[in-house]
Amino acid sequence: MAPSENLAPAGRANTGNGGGAPNGVEKQQRCQFNEVVLRNRLTALLVDGNRFCRTIEQGLLRAYGVETLAVDNGRAAVELIASGVKFNLIVIDMLLPILNGLEATRQIRAMGVRCKMLGVTACSYEREREAFLAAGVDVFIEKPLSPEILVPILRELDGQ
Amino acid sequence: MDIANQLQRQFMDYSTSLHREGFVDDQFTQLQKLQDENSPDFVVEVASLFFEDCEKLINNMARALEQQQGVDFKQVDASVHQLKGSSSSIGAMRVKNVCIAFRSFCEAQNREGCLRCLQQVTHEYSLLKNKLQTLFRLEKQILAAGGSIPIVE
Repeated sequence: MAPSENLAPAGRANTGNGGGAPNGVEKQQRCQFNEVVLRNRLTALLVDGNRFCRTIEQGLLRAYGVETLAVDNGRAAVELIASGVKFNLIVIDMLLPILNGLEATRQIRAMGVRCKMLGVTACSYEREREAFLAAGVDVFIEKPLSPEILVPILRELDGQ
Repeated sequence: MDIANQLQRQFMDYSTSLHREGFVDDQFTQLQKLQDENSPDFVVEVASLFFEDCEKLINNMARALEQQQGVDFKQVDASVHQLKGSSSSIGAMRVKNVCIAFRSFCEAQNREGCLRCLQQVTHEYSLLKNKLQTLFRLEKQILAAGGSIPIVE
């Protein structure tokens, strides 16, 4: 595994399950992500062709305790879903190698997958937004994927 | 005031100026919050990944724009698009803003406009790299003096 793939901070699930009692510094750090305490173990698939963006987005999701798997192209995402792996959340970019995000989204939806899909992309034109929504993402998000946007979505998925 | 406090004050002032001058935005602050004792070098590491990514993309853009037989603006745009995505993900606001203008010139197939943007993006990337390297040096000095790194909102 490339070193960068390990850069995301180790998941600090604020679920209260497992782990020792936090020391003072750890407690202070956790408070900053304390806005979301997930009751359920959520899983996410991240699909982004850019290694840097994958690192950032995976780091963010894991900081909230979301178990995250990342792939770097649309075909890998479709194959993974087709193999029966289920996720609570799919975060997918529009421009992807091998199979682009629009087509990957259509194929995933065509399989009957109804989980929350976030189209997170650097694209910002209205026509791009419409195309991605028409392909089947629930929310179109212009990068960056920020806590401000992610937190309400995670709370909703967690049934809060 | 002891050394650690002085350095912390310098760090906070420097951080504030980076935000005020638009070098970084709130996304950068969010990434700083992801750093903890389990991943103490997270921000430095993502920053160096970002710089690698930038250099590669800028080189791609330059090569594509140099083509005498005819510029493939789709290729240029693809690199600009990637840079827009990664710069916004790290919170590099000024770099991102140049990318927005750059994309318009790609769409218009305006080579002169693209070349100007390439120059600007190269300049902004260099400035940001220097600024962040200064910030990270200050962090090291604070830790060496026994202090902790403040989060500047």
